[in-house]
Amino acid sequence: MKRFDWRVLSGPRVSRRTLMQMALATGAVGFAQWLSACAGGGATPTAAPAAGATPQAVPATPSGATPTAAATPAGEARRGGTLRLGFGIGQILTLDPAQVTQGIVAGELVSNIFSSLVQFDKDLGLIPDLAETWEVNEDGTEYTFHLRDGLKFHNGDPLLAQDFIYTYERTTNPDFASPHANKLNLITSITAPDELTLVIKLSEPYAPFLATACSRGPGRALTPISKRAIEEMGDQQFGLTPVGCGPFMVVPESVEVGKGFRMVAFEDWYGGRPLLDEIIVQIIPEPSSRISALEAGDVDMLDIVPASGVEQLKANDRITLVEAPGTNWIGLTMNYKRPPWDNVDARMAVSKAINRQEFIDKALFGLAVPSIGAIAPAFGWVYVPPEQWGENPQGYNLEEAKALAEKSGIRGTSVKILSSAQDPRPEEVLRTMLQEIGLDVQIEQLQDAAYNERWKAGDYDMNINGSVVDADPDDGHWNFFHSKGPWNTYGYNNPKVDELLEGTRKTNNQDERRQMWHEIQRILQRDVAYAFLYHTPDRTAFYTYVKGYVAIPEMRYLETVWLEK
Amino acid sequence: MTQYIVRRLIHAVFIVWGCATLVFFMIRLIPGDPVLQMLGPEYTPEAAEALRHKLGLDQPIYVQYLKWFSSVLRGDLGDSIATGETVVGAIKTGFPKTLSITVLSFLIALAIALPAGIVAALKRNSLIDYLVSVLAFAGVSMPGFWFGIILIILFAVQLRWLPAVGYASLTKEGFWPWLSHLLLPSLAVGTGYAAILMRFVRAGLLEVLGMDYVRTARAKGLAEWTVIARHALRNSLIPVVTVAGIQLALLLSGAVVIETVFSIRGLGRILVGAIFDKDYPIVQGVILLIAVIFVMANLIVDIIYTFLDPRIRYG
Repeated sequence: MKRFDWRVLSGPRVSRRTLMQMALATGAVGFAQWLSACAGGGATPTAAPAAGATPQAVPATPSGATPTAAATPAGEARRGGTLRLGFGIGQILTLDPAQVTQGIVAGELVSNIFSSLVQFDKDLGLIPDLAETWEVNEDGTEYTFHLRDGLKFHNGDPLLAQDFIYTYERTTNPDFASPHANKLNLITSITAPDELTLVIKLSEPYAPFLATACSRGPGRALTPISKRAIEEMGDQQFGLTPVGCGPFMVVPESVEVGKGFRMVAFEDWYGGRPLLDEIIVQIIPEPSSRISALEAGDVDMLDIVPASGVEQLKANDRITLVEAPGTNWIGLTMNYKRPPWDNVDARMAVSKAINRQEFIDKALFGLAVPSIGAIAPAFGWVYVPPEQWGENPQGYNLEEAKALAEKSGIRGTSVKILSSAQDPRPEEVLRTMLQEIGLDVQIEQLQDAAYNERWKAGDYDMNINGSVVDADPDDGHWNFFHSKGPWNTYGYNNPKVDELLEGTRKTNNQDERRQMWHEIQRILQRDVAYAFLYHTPDRTAFYTYVKGYVAIPEMRYLETVWLEK
Repeated sequence: MTQYIVRRLIHAVFIVWGCATLVFFMIRLIPGDPVLQMLGPEYTPEAAEALRHKLGLDQPIYVQYLKWFSSVLRGDLGDSIATGETVVGAIKTGFPKTLSITVLSFLIALAIALPAGIVAALKRNSLIDYLVSVLAFAGVSMPGFWFGIILIILFAVQLRWLPAVGYASLTKEGFWPWLSHLLLPSLAVGTGYAAILMRFVRAGLLEVLGMDYVRTARAKGLAEWTVIARHALRNSLIPVVTVAGIQLALLLSGAVVIETVFSIRGLGRILVGAIFDKDYPIVQGVILLIAVIFVMANLIVDIIYTFLDPRIRYG
């Protein structure tokens, strides 16, 4: 294998291109895919031309160190004001970066309270955050970060290289049980030669290290924590009222679990005071209420737009809807370990009985894209739309489905779809469709905890699941379809697929890899590893007076946002 | 009477203790491990073990029970295992909201049900009686969440008179913000409730109006209004108070659906969220409170009987 010069990953700036080349060159294909996906997914505003203003505003920075790329026509951005953000979640379990498991909380809230070593720009290149520059040694095993001078935590304490060491020790402490500790597995040593220099050594090179462990948002494991704050309030309280180092600070008195909290501008943020004075995060769990709250002007922005409200918001000319192609896939699993679902004819009968477009129209308000595999539409270099793919053996064909159902003897079989959805609309639609081939479908609705246990244990007939957005969509194949994949709980085992999946991680020839992914997709379709159903896009919405929003897939960095009112 | 109340309160202690104990064990029978719930699908067994130990969930269940029970006696309901807030804190933030909705919707219900019920009874089988009955039927049949959404769309989205969601504290944010956030949810709850009450008021009054003592009162030449207000209505209220008491207790234990539609984190949402998250301490604490509310509501209803009907005496 060719030797790579890992020094190209050194910063003050690493372009997406470089990240991708290195990722490809070193077999971190998933990571490269994610990067490429996000590039293709440059958010497209679908309404109100005013909002086309992408990175319009950057805080007026005394230090001159503008964190977010792209220069701004000065004088446009206004300071001040309160942004009310409607947030769609039942309750926020914790804001402690090392403990957050709720993805949208990490990407959209924690990333505004905490800075990290590096951050993403809108093209998903890496740019400085707390580290002004960094170097990576030639064999990719040693990272040296040079921190900015004069960094501060929200409580006024200086933020120094030692704080990263403390954070490392805290995250990896077994008693602390951080779900992200595994992202630091490769670290063999972490040292601070002086207050502003941090040296991290890895046991082996790993291209996504900066993104998965050191970035603002996803890099939860190494997001620096104030030691004094932890000592003063303890881990549990810290999860409620964290002391961070990002552009906004949490107002402790405002925190009400299940209601939300307020964040105010941090005057001493290295990038300068953010433009907004304040952000009010208001939790609105019910999707239709979330849409009403935006339309009624109770909130200025929604973190994620529920599918049921997309048409309505598009029709509202005071509101801008920003939509980016998804990096996910969803399908129907049939458990190989439970006859008759070990029989490919039985699975194929089910898949062919599902009219994908009708399913999307009925179950998802028509707001998704039919899927023919696990390659998401955002991965432009490898994704092939259904209409160009050619023959998809899984595709809808009711006559063939009926014949296969007859042949495999599944007519009259009863089957349960395991679901954790509060609104099992998709399952209901499937039930109706599968009745056509004589299946007696029941829906077994469980709460998350119980669902996860059953799913992990492979204790189900069928369920609808897939890969949700992640920093590494290679997971979306490997984890589900490799015989040793951690989320392969349904017993799929095809040595050819294993071989191809391993192959995609080893080669750096893009054409070759594309062919391999397509080959994998063909096998998965034929095997009916999943009956692939759909992909959903990432959507956010705000009033047209909300300016300066920079769309970075899966993130909501809000320091550049300002209000024109 | 005092003796009666004391005896009832002693009973109440046992009832509440029984409920709390039952819930303590039942919630642990529901499938789903709180530790796995918290760690998410990517958990490692080591992290799960560590967390289980930290939360004391690795101890035998009777040890957990004794520990919990002895802290309850000391007034400590523990901490939420999902979010880390104290259970007492969660109740303190949730209860005022639920109480506000309950009181306001109760007032709205009374304001609708009493006049409407009386008129319907007095003008029995008239057009107005039919109209009131139809409206009552509609009120009972209309799901609260649906009516809530309609109210939001009308008053918040279209007219922009009132906020669509959320809650403002009476003490911190003032009277109007508080009231404006509560009007819609209370109306949604109150109308359904009014419909039920109204039917009881009407039925109760009709029954009483045929009684001898009403005829006697009329024969004495009392004004019709005095007959109704002093003699008939008061005696017809016993079933109404019974129903009102139960309904009130139900409301106080949280109108989950309405709280969800209006994004108000009252007791109902706290409880349901905790059940989903397998947040044992919160579930136990909130159920304990609800048990107390029910027992007290029943006691108060029984005491009110004695005022309405002097023949009822407890000894």
